[in-house]
Amino acid sequence: MAAQTTHNAGDAHDGNPVAEAAEAVHGHEVPAGTTEVAAHGGEGGGLPQFRMEYWGGQIIWLLIIFAVLYALLAKVFVPRLRKIQDTRAQTIAEAVEQARTVQAEADAQAKAAQAELEDARAQARRLAADAKAKAQAEMAASQAAEDQRLNAELEQAEARIRGLRDQAMSNVRGIAADTAEAMVAKLTGQAPSRADIDAALAGRTTEGAA
Amino acid sequence: MADPMHQFEVQKIVDLPDFSIPGVGVIDMAFTNSTLAMTLAAGAIVAFMAVSTAKVSVVPGRLQAMGEGAFSYIDNLTTSIIGHEGRKFFPFIFTLFLFILAMNILGLFLVFTATSQLAVTATLAIMTILLVLIVGFARNGASMYKLFVPAGVPWYMLLLVTPIEFISFLLRPATLALRLFGNMLGGHVALKVFAGFIISLGGLAAGGGLGLLGIPGAAVSLGGVVALTALEFLVAFLQAFVFAVLTCVYLNDVVNLGHHH
Repeated sequence: MAAQTTHNAGDAHDGNPVAEAAEAVHGHEVPAGTTEVAAHGGEGGGLPQFRMEYWGGQIIWLLIIFAVLYALLAKVFVPRLRKIQDTRAQTIAEAVEQARTVQAEADAQAKAAQAELEDARAQARRLAADAKAKAQAEMAASQAAEDQRLNAELEQAEARIRGLRDQAMSNVRGIAADTAEAMVAKLTGQAPSRADIDAALAGRTTEGAA
Repeated sequence: MADPMHQFEVQKIVDLPDFSIPGVGVIDMAFTNSTLAMTLAAGAIVAFMAVSTAKVSVVPGRLQAMGEGAFSYIDNLTTSIIGHEGRKFFPFIFTLFLFILAMNILGLFLVFTATSQLAVTATLAIMTILLVLIVGFARNGASMYKLFVPAGVPWYMLLLVTPIEFISFLLRPATLALRLFGNMLGGHVALKVFAGFIISLGGLAAGGGLGLLGIPGAAVSLGGVVALTALEFLVAFLQAFVFAVLTCVYLNDVVNLGHHH
């Protein structure tokens, strides 16, 4: 220490203006061998950091403080923080896993529901198709029956019309025969035989029909 | 103007008895403002960790989320750089990151920044490199030379590459220490200088007359201090992060020596 101080005092005038100015202010030389802190102010020349008499103490104190700090961090705080981070990572992983399971379950359920829906839809479609077919068949059957009934009625009506016409025709024949007989009687004065009239009518009718 | 270097003076708070290490010399174990800053930083980390992990729950509260955020941030960093073996080194890298970050940030609130002391950054850097060396030799033994002999490089290139790799390896502790030290030192000096401008220009303005021109200058300096403070918060985080990343990279070099994962 003494040697260092002597050395520092020795090169006080090394041309550093700051140091010299500071020295001028303080205006005293440090006696060799002193460790008096009050004598600060640049007697070492240059930066105060290069005054070696404080290096030893700073280094030892730094090592002690660093060692204590390192021990506290390494043994107490880092494991604590590591643990909480690991716990968090694990919690998150678990939650994600759980969410994934739930998601898979939900997916399966959704798939099942979808399938069920498909089934129901197909069934409904089939039911609708069946109902439609049945209705069509029923409609066709009832239409056929109705057609048949109408046809029968039509035939019946036609038959009646034919009967009435035939009857009317025979009445017309009678009337014609009577008329012809009356006309012949009036014209000739003698009544024609029924057979002649019939023959004449038959010829006419055949002619008229032809 | 106040001396911008004054803030880096180590001052004794409680004088504790010296002790001597044989072969090294007498160590002044006084409790200094540097020690206090380191203790406060470590204490703040422990307090923060204790509070944020006091009632751990799966759904984190605000503080727990912050603690876990820092944890996961560095955890992902180590795992992505070193691979699955990164977990072994995680407590060291996490401690390093938090400690440097706490010292950097406390330096922005208090009057002393422990990471602006080269003694501190050099110790951290040498600690890291020693860990790299110990892990490297424990895992690889004599095949540690592969660190300087990249696979798949033709022999005539090795003549060039090997010395470069070796020198860059030797420079690692120096760059680690100086990067953090330089950033913290420069930032705090710049802050102090700008803040000093405010005072001196303000004093000029108090004199009246032409000195009133000092007011806009002081205002600009104030703006500069505000902007620099914001920048320093970024640097405080960034340097802690860079230190942690480089530690991971250096550890990865020896953990996964000779095979790319």
